[in-house]
Amino acid sequence: MIRILTIILFGILFVFTGNLQAQTAADLVEKCANDAGEDATYLKDFVVKMGEAATGSRPPVARYPLVLSKNNVYRFSVCTTEQSEGKAIIRLYDSNRIIFSSYDQDTKEEFNPFNFLCQKTGIYHVFISFLDGKSGEAVGILSYVTK
Amino acid sequence: MIWKTILFLLSVAVISSCQSRKGKLGEAALDMPDSLELAADLQISEEALDEVVQSVSSPIEMAALIKEIGTPFSLDYLATTDYVDQYNTSFQMAYSLGVFGADLGYLNMYNKGTQIIDYLTAINKLADGIRVGQFFDFTTMKRLATSRENIDSLMYISVNSFNNMDSYLRENNRGHLSALMITGVWVEGMYLATQVAKQNPDPALNERIGEQKLNLNNLFLILNPYKDQKHISDLLAELNVIKAEFDQVEITYEMGEPETVEKDGMIMIVQNEKSIVHITDEQMQRIIIKTEEIRNKLIAI
Repeated sequence: MIRILTIILFGILFVFTGNLQAQTAADLVEKCANDAGEDATYLKDFVVKMGEAATGSRPPVARYPLVLSKNNVYRFSVCTTEQSEGKAIIRLYDSNRIIFSSYDQDTKEEFNPFNFLCQKTGIYHVFISFLDGKSGEAVGILSYVTK
Repeated sequence: MIWKTILFLLSVAVISSCQSRKGKLGEAALDMPDSLELAADLQISEEALDEVVQSVSSPIEMAALIKEIGTPFSLDYLATTDYVDQYNTSFQMAYSLGVFGADLGYLNMYNKGTQIIDYLTAINKLADGIRVGQFFDFTTMKRLATSRENIDSLMYISVNSFNNMDSYLRENNRGHLSALMITGVWVEGMYLATQVAKQNPDPALNERIGEQKLNLNNLFLILNPYKDQKHISDLLAELNVIKAEFDQVEITYEMGEPETVEKDGMIMIVQNEKSIVHITDEQMQRIIIKTEEIRNKLIAI
């Protein structure tokens, strides 16, 4: 009887843990969107969860395409969960050319969030990775900045 | 005692699992199968298709531009919600969900609480109809719209709900409904922009309309995999009429290196590579007329 009770309890815990994880991602998106600033209107979010990079291999990267429009100012921000081993970095690319990164590898300076004044309508890409290939969970937020 | 405990725990588990989906299932007469396998002659991979869907720009940006150029608010631009009960096929519901989503973006931008509630009600009904109502928190949104105090929260929840509905549809093999919803958003956004351009021509708005050539090309990529469905092939035929006009619009590029400046204590990257839209008044007039015809045809019952 105790065994049945234990199985049921674990089952319930599993259900609740699943809901909690889903809730956590949604909460982090909301918090990160709110933290983007009063002049920023949320447009999209990018939820990432990555394991640690294998020794000798490149850190894993999540990539998302976007259409950005001319004459708009966009804000890119990234929020890392407290439980993460690494700090998340958000980069903006135009084709294969990097436009900006929220972290400067040379100076170790962080620029999160950063704004982008778009002058060319087209498809861009957002890349999110974790510093030094460590594991972690994060959300990237794209916002529209009111002029 | 143990059995009472088990019964109690089971009740908690059942209640908890029911609440997580809110149990809002519609009774719609679906004219299309609920899930569709991609057509055999799929032109791009599902992964690439996913990328294209992600890359379609938000209706908020068009609404923001309309407001920024000083256009006064007008209800005349919006699709009426009076006939929402008559949208009873999955095609009509998914497409109209997109249309009302674009209109909601416009209303949010102008903070029109009273009208917003009509559109929230319509969207809630349609979302339930295609079984994505669990992503639309109607009660909270209605409260925010009524209070008029927290328009930013309302804007956030609205955009986030549409993003979640779209992701859920694509992840659950109902990409055709996501494609229809995105098309509805785009056509209505184009209608809003072209109606404003007709009454108050503005160079920035004209340029933004011309740039929609890129989004329209993406829409074709999104819809093409489902063209075996008659409703979607008919929709593609309608969009082809606008595409023929957009094919005449030219977009050229000027090269330049980005600059980094500091503004209001924040880093701003200023792009110096520029896109330039070449659109004549005649082309614009034809796009305005075709958009109006197609939009009115597609929302007609």
